[in-house]
Amino acid sequence: MSGMDPALKPRLRRRSTFESVAWVVCSLAGLGILLSVATNPNFKWGVVAKYFTHESILRGLMLTIFLTLASMALGTLLGLALAVMRSSNIKPVAATAGVYITLFRGTPVLVQLIFWFNVAALYPNLSIGIPFTDIGTAIDVNALMAPITAALVGLTLNQAAYMAEIIRGGFSAVGKGQIEAADSLGMSAGMKMRKVIIPQAMPSIIPATGNQFIGMFKETSLVSVLGVAELLQSAQLIYARTYETIPLLIVASLWYLVMTLLLSYPQSKLEQKYSRTSSRLPRKAKKVVLTAPEGIAR
Amino acid sequence: MSTDGTIHARGIRKSFGPKTVLKDIDLDIASGEICCIIGPSGSGKSTVLRCINGLETVDSGVLKVNGENFGYYETETAYHALAPKKLAEQRTRVGMVFQQFNLFPNMTAHENIMSGPVLVKGADKKEAAKRAHELLASVGLAGFGDYYPAQLSGGQQQRVAIARSLAMDPEIMLFDEPTSALDPEKVGEVLMVMQDLAKKGMTMVVVTHEMGFAREVADSLIFMDDGCVVERGDAREVLRNPKEPRTQAFLEKVI
Repeated sequence: MSGMDPALKPRLRRRSTFESVAWVVCSLAGLGILLSVATNPNFKWGVVAKYFTHESILRGLMLTIFLTLASMALGTLLGLALAVMRSSNIKPVAATAGVYITLFRGTPVLVQLIFWFNVAALYPNLSIGIPFTDIGTAIDVNALMAPITAALVGLTLNQAAYMAEIIRGGFSAVGKGQIEAADSLGMSAGMKMRKVIIPQAMPSIIPATGNQFIGMFKETSLVSVLGVAELLQSAQLIYARTYETIPLLIVASLWYLVMTLLLSYPQSKLEQKYSRTSSRLPRKAKKVVLTAPEGIAR
Repeated sequence: MSTDGTIHARGIRKSFGPKTVLKDIDLDIASGEICCIIGPSGSGKSTVLRCINGLETVDSGVLKVNGENFGYYETETAYHALAPKKLAEQRTRVGMVFQQFNLFPNMTAHENIMSGPVLVKGADKKEAAKRAHELLASVGLAGFGDYYPAQLSGGQQQRVAIARSLAMDPEIMLFDEPTSALDPEKVGEVLMVMQDLAKKGMTMVVVTHEMGFAREVADSLIFMDDGCVVERGDAREVLRNPKEPRTQAFLEKVI
């Protein structure tokens, strides 16, 4: 026994047998996989390195980023409109939004994308004009629905349905008392929405939108079936020629991974910022320095 | 004679689904009168108040606030619901103070008070800011304008809420259990603001459990039970000599 002061002895964490075993097993398995991946010549890491910054891959990446940004922006706007409609007191308006949301959330986005690409089969000509007059113009839908348009339309319309539900969830998190207070002041419905409901719904909408954004980034890979040369399709176009399928899929995957990791940092910051406890106070709030005694009477 | 600041109700009925919460309520409140409504929970006293501000609609009966049919216009055969704009206009003349304050958490105390005049009435911002300043001072919170509701105590929040309602220059102020959500030591500061207001001649209808306030400040008192007005009269008189057995039983329990 040493003469160590009992008050200064460190307190050690208990480590269970299972924990020790888990360390050994997982380390060995990880090492094995790593070794195999590194030494298996079929992975062709040289090819991966060669194509990682290849011009057409980078162009595909740009298109993927564009599709993500555009469909998220348009989808959020449309989703906001749908959420407002869904919360309307006017039944047909609310029902219309309800049917839309059900349809677009209830069918696979891949099917929707292919549908919009082929919509010309249903409506070969789109005419815009004033009914019963000759004023107007007809548009060839087949030409209009180029792969990139179909991709944008499909992703946007689908995203709008999901965003509508997120935004509506945010709306319903705003207390009934807030709405009554706005009503009792005589605020109009639009005013109430802009000044009371939306600002208070934001803390729950923003983090969820960030998640959708990250999801959308990966979801864009689906439009490769339409022949849009985004990241995945760009990789596919190369391996169709060179038969280096796996290395090029790795190239695309690495880019998806890099972008997702880049996006998840701001996402976690957003979540922290809008977490329940901190959201009660707007960020621009002054620090409380009570200049008068708490609860001064008069 | 001006009907501003008066409330007149005859035979008001209101049901929530199968449950009848107001059965044949009559009310007559004169301009500048301070009326307290007391009664056990579930007696319909808050519902009466909420009808006067249009937060609930009555099913039938006459309801005139400031001399006008509230929320409806009358024809030979029926009452027709008003357009939202007209209803909002009527509401601006009736201030409401809630048990849970319901300040807008995304606005400072100052912005809360300015919200009604600026957003609803389209008042000049500078004028409204000046007025908000005065109102804050009048509820004893000068210098608290930049604080957000979450930074204020319950009593302070409720005083800001009163100032917010007053900013609309209403003829009538309704208080729905304004001190029930407060810590006991914060009740006094809110009651004091209300007492001040009473002295200035504001028509006030106060649903409350504060019998002291009813005794000292109120002109008239209404005791409600089970959706009916059981007893009404001069506040001090009813509190001292309740005539109805139900009023007696209630007062015995709360005093």
